[in-house]
Amino acid sequence: MSHLRREFVKILFQKRTYFGWAGLFLIPWLITIAMRLSNEGPPPPDQGGPEFVFLITSNGLYVALASLFALVNFLLPLLASMSGSQTIAGEAENGTLRTVLMQPVRRGALLMAKWFIANVYIAIGLIILLVSALAAGGAFFGFDRMMLFSGQTVSVGHGIGLICVAYLFAFLAMATVVSLAVTFSTLTNSGLTAVAAALVLVIVMLVLGGFSVFDFLEPYLFTSHFDAWVNFFQSPIEWAPIGEALLNFAVWIVGLTTVAWLIFRRKDILS
Amino acid sequence: MRDVPDEIDSRDVPRRIFDSCGDQTIVLSTHALTKDFKNLRAVDSLDLSVCRGDIYGFLGPNGAGKTTTIRLIFGLTYPTTGYAQILDYRLPERRQEALRHVGGFVDDPMFYGNMTARRNLRMLGRMNGEVSEERITEVLEMVGLSDRGRSKVGSYSHGMRQRLGIALALIHNPDLVVLDEPTSGLDPQGMKDVRELIRQLGRQGTTVFLSSHLLHEVELVCNRAAIMRKGRVVVQGPVSELRPSANAVKVLTGDQGRALEVLRGLVGTGGVREDEEYLVIQGDEELVPEAVRRLVADRIDVLAVVPAIEQGLEDMFLELTAREEERGRA
Repeated sequence: MSHLRREFVKILFQKRTYFGWAGLFLIPWLITIAMRLSNEGPPPPDQGGPEFVFLITSNGLYVALASLFALVNFLLPLLASMSGSQTIAGEAENGTLRTVLMQPVRRGALLMAKWFIANVYIAIGLIILLVSALAAGGAFFGFDRMMLFSGQTVSVGHGIGLICVAYLFAFLAMATVVSLAVTFSTLTNSGLTAVAAALVLVIVMLVLGGFSVFDFLEPYLFTSHFDAWVNFFQSPIEWAPIGEALLNFAVWIVGLTTVAWLIFRRKDILS
Repeated sequence: MRDVPDEIDSRDVPRRIFDSCGDQTIVLSTHALTKDFKNLRAVDSLDLSVCRGDIYGFLGPNGAGKTTTIRLIFGLTYPTTGYAQILDYRLPERRQEALRHVGGFVDDPMFYGNMTARRNLRMLGRMNGEVSEERITEVLEMVGLSDRGRSKVGSYSHGMRQRLGIALALIHNPDLVVLDEPTSGLDPQGMKDVRELIRQLGRQGTTVFLSSHLLHEVELVCNRAAIMRKGRVVVQGPVSELRPSANAVKVLTGDQGRALEVLRGLVGTGGVREDEEYLVIQGDEELVPEAVRRLVADRIDVLAVVPAIEQGLEDMFLELTAREEERGRA
């Protein structure tokens, strides 16, 4: 049995896996139902609401974007932190890490398999979110030609294609959070500590990105690029901020995963 | 500063009573194996050799460094200096090859509680090659869990997890089985069953490295043993040679103070010690009449002479140390 298959089977046997996915399935329906029942509609853009949320009731495709916008800074990083932190620290806490490492396995390969499956968990979650959002949006408001943020309209098929690309981008953003949590996971024997450490760092970055005095840090914080997916909905697509974001994510992912690998290879397993 | 025990320096006494495997293959050996944790030396220059077919007892009180040694043997921790070797494979450099020949557990064996015992064995066993369903059934039967193989391990008692740990250890018929306190948490029948299983492994030619703090257990199942204390091996060798109290008697007299002096004159300082109200004399049976004669000659009333039947591990350790120190002075 390969490491990947074994790690995937393990997450399928954990209840928290399904709680996370269930949350991602439900939230688009809650947003849609709330919008349907609300007489006032969402807050208009000049009162703090994103422009496309205002368009949900006219086109169900926007439910997918509203769901992504709502979750990319909170629930998705939380699930990514949980997923990444369980890789090493969660198993150390349960005592199963030593059982696994007493078998003839390469530590580096095992860590990479765990990192990969933690990302697969998030990828499946995003697919559930996307399918659920499209189903809910289509059921309540129907699909229509999609108006881009730059004002042009595109076909339903083109719109769904852009939404898929935006979700793929969000997946890469969450892969940085997974990598951060995996790194913390190699430093502690407590899954909760690793989750907390990763989440606190994400929140600290979000706070730093919220004040102009820290603008000089913004290009380096991965959280500053979480919303760069909106640039796919311009015509023509604004590739520069997307490219910067992808480079930022890549540097963080490679850097953090390398650190985790170096730590785990020489770690004394005392749990 | 290292916190190294200094009241007994085992380097001053001969540590190896018997450590050669002769023509037999050395399955497990450690070579000046040392492990430091910050300012604590948990394992100190450990030299062990376990021969093929041995059921090797690794004795020591809690905190002696037994579990740390086993973690080093499995490559879970890295040595500060020295190394362990399994067959021809030195750890940690050739950890993977070495672990293909070892099964076992350290501390409490832990499994995935939300999976059945069979799934755990299948999943973990296949990390070291193919495992058939028949083999899973076989090892579950060997440890008496065949009727609970489809239960989730989360519902298992501590003793059942111990048994499952042994089942996983045996699943690939390894050359070496390393068991850390395998009878802890078992009921008397369970302890008896596990000991019988270990003896059976020995009869089949499997080498077993058994960590325990129970002298009685080691005597029952092991042919060779090492005694460890504060990270160091005090002695190692055949179990029959290790136990100094095989010929010991307890003496109760009317004046224990004077009696102690008289007996020390007869058997030396290391040959007699105080044990609560008794004096314990170490020596052959022929020594007893002579000891009684000396005491009576010195007008000391001899109230009782009884065999020293059972000895705790700590007592045995202290006695062995005293004996070795006596030899060293001689």
